[in-house]
Amino acid sequence: MKELVEYIARSIVNEPDAVNVNEETNEEGITLKLTVADDDKGRIIGKQGQIAQAMRTLLRVKAAKAATRVRLEIM
Amino acid sequence: MEIPEQQREIFETAREILERLLEMMDLPATVALCEEFTVLDDEGNAASIGLNIEGEDLGILIGRRGQTMSSLQYLLRLMLARKMETRIPIVVDVEGYKQRRCEGLRLLANRLAEQVRTRKTPFTMEPMTAFERRVVHLALADHPDVYTESTGLGEARKVVIAPKKIQAY
Repeated sequence: MKELVEYIARSIVNEPDAVNVNEETNEEGITLKLTVADDDKGRIIGKQGQIAQAMRTLLRVKAAKAATRVRLEIM
Repeated sequence: MEIPEQQREIFETAREILERLLEMMDLPATVALCEEFTVLDDEGNAASIGLNIEGEDLGILIGRRGQTMSSLQYLLRLMLARKMETRIPIVVDVEGYKQRRCEGLRLLANRLAEQVRTRKTPFTMEPMTAFERRVVHLALADHPDVYTESTGLGEARKVVIAPKKIQAY
């Protein structure tokens, strides 16, 4: 899961090296915690959260295929 | 159909990014040029580039009301804009879904226009996405008897087809 978010995030921020994704699995599914440079936060959230929402949509497809659930948190 | 030289690099890069995304989603598929959504301007340059995702069992990539497909298109445009510093609209289709939907919408638009013309009362369509509304507006742009406009906000925005002249009684 984490590679997908990393790939997308790195492609749209100004500081790709500052992108970090932490993946945790528990009984509820997978939680991804995405951190980026402060100045890049707006770039991965987007207007009215549109970019974050689009990333969640793609994650949901991948999670559905793996029969699990995924949460994306932007730290 | 050949992509003009100037836009070839944009197309190739878009295809690479999209195939990479699909691979990471565990849905390996191939991406081909979609002629329907690749539009050339008067000088022969591409004004928009259409990409069609081809493979088996891709319904999951379309999503409810095409939502997953829209997310893919939205992210791809962003990623491409960063990489290429260009703003050519990219249209992502899955298994020709959007193309079929467009053809269906054009037929529907013309049928409704005929109904509006004979009944002389406006007709309001179901809420649709910006792209779908555009298809309807364009389909009826040159219609002699009806005009179209969009009303409502956000998710609920819909097209109204109305008669051009109000008959005097």
